[in-house]
Amino acid sequence: MAADSALAAVARELFEGVMAPLVLGGALRPRHAIGARAALALTQAKASGAIEAGLFDRVRAGRVRRARRLLPLDVVAAPTDGEWALSASLNDVLQAASPTFQGPLRRSMAARILELAIATIDRIEPPATVGEALSRHTWFAALPDLTRTDSSVTWWAGSRVFRGEPPPARLQAWPGVRRVSVVATEVPLLDLTPLAVDRERLALALTLLLDRSPLTALATCTRGEPPFAWSDATLALVARGSGRTLALRALERLAPAAVDAALGRATRSLLEHRRDVAGPALAVLSDRVLAIAIGHTRAAQASSAPADAVFANAVGAAVALRRLEAGEPGWADDERKRIWHALKPAASSDAGRGAAALLQEPA
Amino acid sequence: MLDRIALHQTRLHTPGLGLDSKGVALGAKGLVLLPSIDRLVAFLAVYTRERSIEDLMPSLSMRAVRSKLGTREFTLEIAAESSDRMDRVAETARLVNGFTFTGTSRHFVQYRDAGAPFGYDAPELLSIDAGLLLYHDRFSQTYDVERTIELRSLLLRLMPHLDPATRQAAGLRFIVAEPGLGPALVQYLARSRVDGDVGVAEWPPQSAFDDSPVRRWILRIPELPERMRGLVQGTPGLSTFLPVGPGVAVEAGYRHPIELRACPVFDAAGLVLLRGRGDEAWSMARLPPMGALSAFARVELRTTGSDTAVATALGPAEAVRVPLKLVPRAVARRHVTATWVAPAQVPLLRRLAYALPRSTIADASVAMTARGAFLRSRAGIEAVPLGTFFVELYPGLYIPAGHEVAPAVAPEVLARALDVPAGRVMFLGPDARGVVVLDSAFVPLEAALLGAPPWEEIIAEQIDSRLDEALVDLKVTSIGLLPMRGVEPPPP
Repeated sequence: MAADSALAAVARELFEGVMAPLVLGGALRPRHAIGARAALALTQAKASGAIEAGLFDRVRAGRVRRARRLLPLDVVAAPTDGEWALSASLNDVLQAASPTFQGPLRRSMAARILELAIATIDRIEPPATVGEALSRHTWFAALPDLTRTDSSVTWWAGSRVFRGEPPPARLQAWPGVRRVSVVATEVPLLDLTPLAVDRERLALALTLLLDRSPLTALATCTRGEPPFAWSDATLALVARGSGRTLALRALERLAPAAVDAALGRATRSLLEHRRDVAGPALAVLSDRVLAIAIGHTRAAQASSAPADAVFANAVGAAVALRRLEAGEPGWADDERKRIWHALKPAASSDAGRGAAALLQEPA
Repeated sequence: MLDRIALHQTRLHTPGLGLDSKGVALGAKGLVLLPSIDRLVAFLAVYTRERSIEDLMPSLSMRAVRSKLGTREFTLEIAAESSDRMDRVAETARLVNGFTFTGTSRHFVQYRDAGAPFGYDAPELLSIDAGLLLYHDRFSQTYDVERTIELRSLLLRLMPHLDPATRQAAGLRFIVAEPGLGPALVQYLARSRVDGDVGVAEWPPQSAFDDSPVRRWILRIPELPERMRGLVQGTPGLSTFLPVGPGVAVEAGYRHPIELRACPVFDAAGLVLLRGRGDEAWSMARLPPMGALSAFARVELRTTGSDTAVATALGPAEAVRVPLKLVPRAVARRHVTATWVAPAQVPLLRRLAYALPRSTIADASVAMTARGAFLRSRAGIEAVPLGTFFVELYPGLYIPAGHEVAPAVAPEVLARALDVPAGRVMFLGPDARGVVVLDSAFVPLEAALLGAPPWEEIIAEQIDSRLDEALVDLKVTSIGLLPMRGVEPPPP
């Protein structure tokens, strides 16, 4: 019973400090490190009584709003066990990145917390359904945008840097007389300094977190770090028609050229190393090209397209032409002919021939 | 007496006489009988005035003939290839009181005229042993050939006529200078920067008393300045010649009676200089080697000082650079083609876009930067009453309207000093600080207003997303006195 109450307290703090800000925005305050065992033991049933109802409803509304960008949805389910565990792991990852661990005796603690978080994420199964992927996306959609505001305060006699906390008012008093200058900088998670843990392990943890929310990984594929790469989870999501539809809708909200570049780079790597599982990725590219050809979505500006974007378009065109030539149903004859003429130049370009050669190579 | 040849007549008595395709009696040759040498020259002069005798040259022969009565006359024989050629010759001969005949060997009958369009036939041939037997409707005469006259020799012996108009003629001319004048003339022309070539030609001694060849300077001047023409004409020892055909020139102030350009008897590789006053012509089988006049310019050697003065220290020139300034100028600004709209005024620019005229929107291009919006329009940007106006001082270089550069260097010098890379546009502010914008960043204002890609829609999306989702701000929280408390590994 005592353990349950302790877990309820952890869940409340986790919900209020991490999960709610992830959805509603604002200050995200990770609590004391949770650990792998407690993270995997968190459930909605244990937390339901501890969470303030009003906050829970606001978070649910925020999640619905986020889901409605991709799907006309009225209700989202309460956090699943996996989402609780992922949130707890995120809490520990963020805590491990705290500058407070920057000390000779504490550095190993941060690394230990991070390793346990990675092990926890590794234990969490990818979403089994498209609905579960959408649900996780409603929680973690803002994860790649997570930043910490570091403030640098200088005055006539000195300067100080405040990481993740606002500078005290006393230091900003009499700004004219003391010549106070405050420069606030938003620092992305992977650029935080000082960092007590290995930056690559931190990047791995974030990659794994995004991998457990594949729709988020796809919907933020234009992010800088960690870069998008096709994984089993993202491929499994787009392998299903409904999942691919959600992914395409999410991609449509991003800059087309950047999406093409990100998907082209990831697909090229996939074709070079794991071509046997590349079918769903190629389907995404061909669906994007077809959507542009029939005018359902906008195309990237060709003049500034990087090589990866050209590759993505060429591969998409080549696969789409194959689908048309294979007699894929659902296309009228004149529409099929018009699409064929629209895609042929891209498929027969140098990039298209290179893509076709890559597709025909033995796996 | 001669018979007029009738139409369709086929039988002729004169040996060697036949009918051409037009039915005109024609022998293998045509012959023009001229009473004197001056008539012969007149014939050549008239004929060459209209046409060249190049086609006559292979068969042309001129002879002095003597009749039984002892009168000396002159004949000109050519191949009677067609009645057309013979008609031209007959018309020219008629003009100079000559008679035209046609025949093949010795017997020549009168060529056709208005009285006998098909020509004449001689029913009774003279059986006299003479070199030439001519049958005319008014006479029949026999001639013996006295001598042959060479055309080239005739042309060389003909004295050119006085023609002062050629003294000031423009164009190429040859100047022949006697040995004593040659070097001075060459120096004078070289000093006066007259283009031309100069060579030296030699002729054999004029008499047995001379022991050395006669040497003269030959100058070929493409265009002698007008002020010098009188000098070279009036200086004794200098002779000026004007080319009148390939390989032949006539002394200035004279004109040859025959159009020499129509008489291709002179070798183009050589040069024949026909002199006036009855002087013999100067002939050169080949033009002497000629050098540029400038090569004969006087050279002087410095006699004092060493050969070279060697620099003892090398280094950059002392800098005299002054900072660039932009100062207001009094004259009204003109042709304002760009404006720099500060970030704070960009929303106002957006609202203003609804009021902009069609032409301004069509002509203008815009680049959105962190320092604001830069608008350009070749037709003028005054229709956008926002921001700081600029004029294009140099392609890709703008300065504020109503300002000028100090020091007042040329625009290209300023552009070179600023060293703006290609594909970039520099805007110099009033404080002379430059802001460089990529030329490719400028997109048509039309597209920027209407389309999503360049800036409007992208910014709107970002704003939307920011509005939808509040920023997540990670705060640093306490890790507690025992950071690892309760942190346990996952269950096995």
